[in-house]
Amino acid sequence: MAPAADSVAEWVRLDEIEPRHCGIVREFVPGEGDVDALKAMGVCLGRKVMLVRAGDPLILKVLGTRLGLSARLAARVLVEPCGGNAFGRMAAEGDGHSS
Amino acid sequence: MDGAARGARPETLVALVGNPNAGKTTLFNALTGLRAKTANFPGTTIERRVGHTELGGRRAKLLDLPGLYSMSGSTPDERVARDALLGELPGHPRPDLVLLLVDATNLERNLYLASQVLELGLPTVIALNMIDLAEQAGIQVDAERLSAELGCPVVPVAARSGRGLAQLQVHLETAVVRPWAPRPRAVPAAEDCEGCPFKARFDWAESVGVSCSAGRPSTHGQRTDRMDRWLTHPVVGVTAFLGVMFVVFALIFWVAQYPMDWIDAGFSWAGAAIGDLVPAGILESLLVEGVIGGVGGVLVFLPQICILFFFLSLLEDTGYLARAAFVMDRMMRRVGLPGKAFVPMISAHACAVPAIMSTRVIEDWRDRLVTILVLPLFSCSARIPVYAILTALLFPHRPLLAGLVFTAAYVLGIGSALGMALVFKRTILPGETRPLVLELPSYKLPSLKTAALSMWDRGRVFVRRAGSIILVVSILLWALSTFPRTAPPAAAVALLEEAAVLQAAGDAAGAGELARAADNLTSQAALARSFAGRFGNFIEPALRPLGFDWQIGVGILSSFAAREVIVSTLAVVYGVGESGAEDDSKSLFATLQNARRTDGSPVFTLATSASLLIFYVLAMQCLSTQAVTRRETGGWRWPLVQLGYMTALAYAASFATYQVLRASGVA
Repeated sequence: MAPAADSVAEWVRLDEIEPRHCGIVREFVPGEGDVDALKAMGVCLGRKVMLVRAGDPLILKVLGTRLGLSARLAARVLVEPCGGNAFGRMAAEGDGHSS
Repeated sequence: MDGAARGARPETLVALVGNPNAGKTTLFNALTGLRAKTANFPGTTIERRVGHTELGGRRAKLLDLPGLYSMSGSTPDERVARDALLGELPGHPRPDLVLLLVDATNLERNLYLASQVLELGLPTVIALNMIDLAEQAGIQVDAERLSAELGCPVVPVAARSGRGLAQLQVHLETAVVRPWAPRPRAVPAAEDCEGCPFKARFDWAESVGVSCSAGRPSTHGQRTDRMDRWLTHPVVGVTAFLGVMFVVFALIFWVAQYPMDWIDAGFSWAGAAIGDLVPAGILESLLVEGVIGGVGGVLVFLPQICILFFFLSLLEDTGYLARAAFVMDRMMRRVGLPGKAFVPMISAHACAVPAIMSTRVIEDWRDRLVTILVLPLFSCSARIPVYAILTALLFPHRPLLAGLVFTAAYVLGIGSALGMALVFKRTILPGETRPLVLELPSYKLPSLKTAALSMWDRGRVFVRRAGSIILVVSILLWALSTFPRTAPPAAAVALLEEAAVLQAAGDAAGAGELARAADNLTSQAALARSFAGRFGNFIEPALRPLGFDWQIGVGILSSFAAREVIVSTLAVVYGVGESGAEDDSKSLFATLQNARRTDGSPVFTLATSASLLIFYVLAMQCLSTQAVTRRETGGWRWPLVQLGYMTALAYAASFATYQVLRASGVA
């Protein structure tokens, strides 16, 4: 089922979310680099990820693990921002659980 | 697996599978200890470790597969592990049993791979590792429930402390005697409604993980967060990394010095002992100079190699090495290499051999190959004696300038390595650097046993190589500089006669001095007339534009196996004698400074010394490095490329240096 146009408009690139904020993975943009390796490490559709440190490379938290990730690859992941500071909330809910 | 096929196999094959950082190496070491062997998977450069143990009264072979996150095979390591599990790897039958390692502190991420492995239908036992760390983090895992969900035995273990290993052994023995395929309660859907197989599998992993564990699910406590705030910082992190590597290298040079001296003394003692036992002649020369001298000259670096791997293993085990690769990634990508190439580059300053061996952490083959090709350009410790004598020749009695040139030699090595990496990435090995995707595991205390076993493993590989290919080439080089045998020159014979007269007159000291001078003349003449000497004369026209004469040509040939040999060869060809190089560096220095060409002009002018220094910064001149490059790249093609480009680079740079200095009026 295709996502509603208004919700798609709110999606941002993973490397653009604020540090200590989270997003739900919604789409992978075609391009260079192996996103399958990323998906196998937990950054796949519907999963909640948190940006721990911005920059290139950046640090994500997903499924209880920290991942160092090139910004080039992160730019290919579109996420729906969760809103607000996610640091405490993700830790309480369990990092990276699906939404 | 049908019974007949199993019966035909002499031993049970157990494959150890798991995510990277799940503690596979520690568990493998705990189960096999020193009985493990390291080699490459056939037709690949990916390392495999094989160990043996007893299971249910049968001999079992434990195969440690590369860590993998999924069976999709997105990296060469993952493809090899997947193919080995499927029985599609040449020379590897399908395993009889899978020992699947699951990290108890990170159940959901690890269950993703577990779901794929269980689908293979192979008898499987799951080791729920790091159960102690999970408990410390407040996570309680219900192993019985997990076993019911996954349809196979699940044994909580802590491989580091040995907790649960006896129980794991029992389950493995049972599975060997009565193998049965796992029967998971529910199988993850092939893909979900969004068509994403990853999501479907993670949803399953999440539901199983949540139902089988309670407590705080985060593996990273506040301590890891606090440490990472600094250790992954773009500035503080890089500074901390350089500090850590400085301490490691200071320890390597300081600690290794003692065992290196012992090894050196041991080989000297062995040489002297053989010299006493075997009558003087060709056999003695072969044993002392060819075998003991050749192998000893390489084995002396064993302590540095062992200590380096000990510390690298400790750093990796703590989780810090992943942070080092992370902070260096941005800097290294400027020259087209990943952050993981930085540790091997630092290691190459001790010795290129362990550095090349440690490039295995770089997943992308092209990135790894470029790193291997440029590593010998970094100034290793074997270059130090060469730099020392040449900088002293360049600026005698001016230690500050000599020190600056010494430093410049190191800078030239680093600069040319990074420059050549860029050239390779833009020419014969083009392509973008693989984007960084790297797990940053939680910090934990390292295992001394794992570090010791890693050190043992690497040391053994190095010693084996020194005993095979290096021994053969050492003997070959010895033969080239020994044959054809010639009679002592007339001048040496006359000196010996004079010595005999002095001896008869009771002047033992004078007689000894004359005899030594006669020996030096004999060695000098023998080397000049040997195949190596003739080769030096043959290539002299090609070396003349670099400011080198035939004697330096002999030095270059004789130091092909190990560059530091140039010092002792120069001592012989310029008439100091081999002992002169070792016992009295001042005597060697003075002799080289006074060495004259046939026209009476000095050999080691500033231009020639600078040219020779640059040649030794850039030239390959290390057989051990060539041998390890062949091993790591699986053939002779890349060692030959390495030898070819480094020789060409060294020649061009020396040529330019000599000609520019000469044109500037510096003779």
